[in-house]
Amino acid sequence: MEIGFFKKLIKVIVSEDKNYISDKSDEELVNLYTNDGEESAFDEIVSRYSDRIYGFAFRITRNTSDAEEVFQEVFLTLTKKLDTFRGESKFSSWLYRVTVNASYMYLRSQKKHESNISLENYVPYDDKGTLMGRIMDKDWSSRPDIVIYGKEALKIIDESINELPESYRTVFHLRDIDGLSNEEVADILEITVPAVKSRLHRARLFLRDKLSDYFHEWRR
Amino acid sequence: MFMCKDVVENIMEYIDNELDLQTLKELEKHTGDCPECMGFVNTYKRMLEITGKLKDKAFVTPEIRNRLRILLESKIKPV
Repeated sequence: MEIGFFKKLIKVIVSEDKNYISDKSDEELVNLYTNDGEESAFDEIVSRYSDRIYGFAFRITRNTSDAEEVFQEVFLTLTKKLDTFRGESKFSSWLYRVTVNASYMYLRSQKKHESNISLENYVPYDDKGTLMGRIMDKDWSSRPDIVIYGKEALKIIDESINELPESYRTVFHLRDIDGLSNEEVADILEITVPAVKSRLHRARLFLRDKLSDYFHEWRR
Repeated sequence: MFMCKDVVENIMEYIDNELDLQTLKELEKHTGDCPECMGFVNTYKRMLEITGKLKDKAFVTPEIRNRLRILLESKIKPV
């Protein structure tokens, strides 16, 4: 009985140390929540991943209220299914997979209109494999930083990402905005690394073209 | 012979420093001789820098966070 009391006391003292939770790895937080019912561990997961989950959901649904619905759904799912996390992949990958599924299910339930742009054969070169006359007169790379990184350019790129078909938009967001590796993206989406690279490549070509069109128009 | 098409199709590996030395040399030689490809590489890099800025966007407002907290409390600990 005395040992139990001291164990409890130590746990309370340790729990009150803020670093105790924030220093834990994701996997340790999951164990603390699922095995010990430590609610602060769950709060830390929410805090650690909120921006990324909402940002991803917003990119897929393209709407703030839809994104919030997905965001809430993901964390509700976590409260029910966190104990099914087996540690076979990184926790972040598992959580992203939950978010991808929740986003796609939400989109399907809402029957939202999707982009019908085809990027499968999207390339900037001609049949002979040359860029002749396609880039040079639109080279905007030496424009002043204030223009290149201005609000308008960011708005253009944001809108252009939203024009990407869903499967390209998903890959682009995970890889180039959230900064995951090709292997992590492949694991989350359950596709091959070459498929990730292919979608990312076409998405980037499309976005580079969109920016070139914008800067070319802007010069006139 | 290395062509513009090869620059485009190897650009991701070029940016990530994953090209073998021979391909890297050929790509840089072609790019040095081809202003179109130089423009392509430069604008591609700039595009990545611009999209990188989107990382800094804060998404979850205190209101969204609060609504989530209320929802979770109502589901986990029903009154």
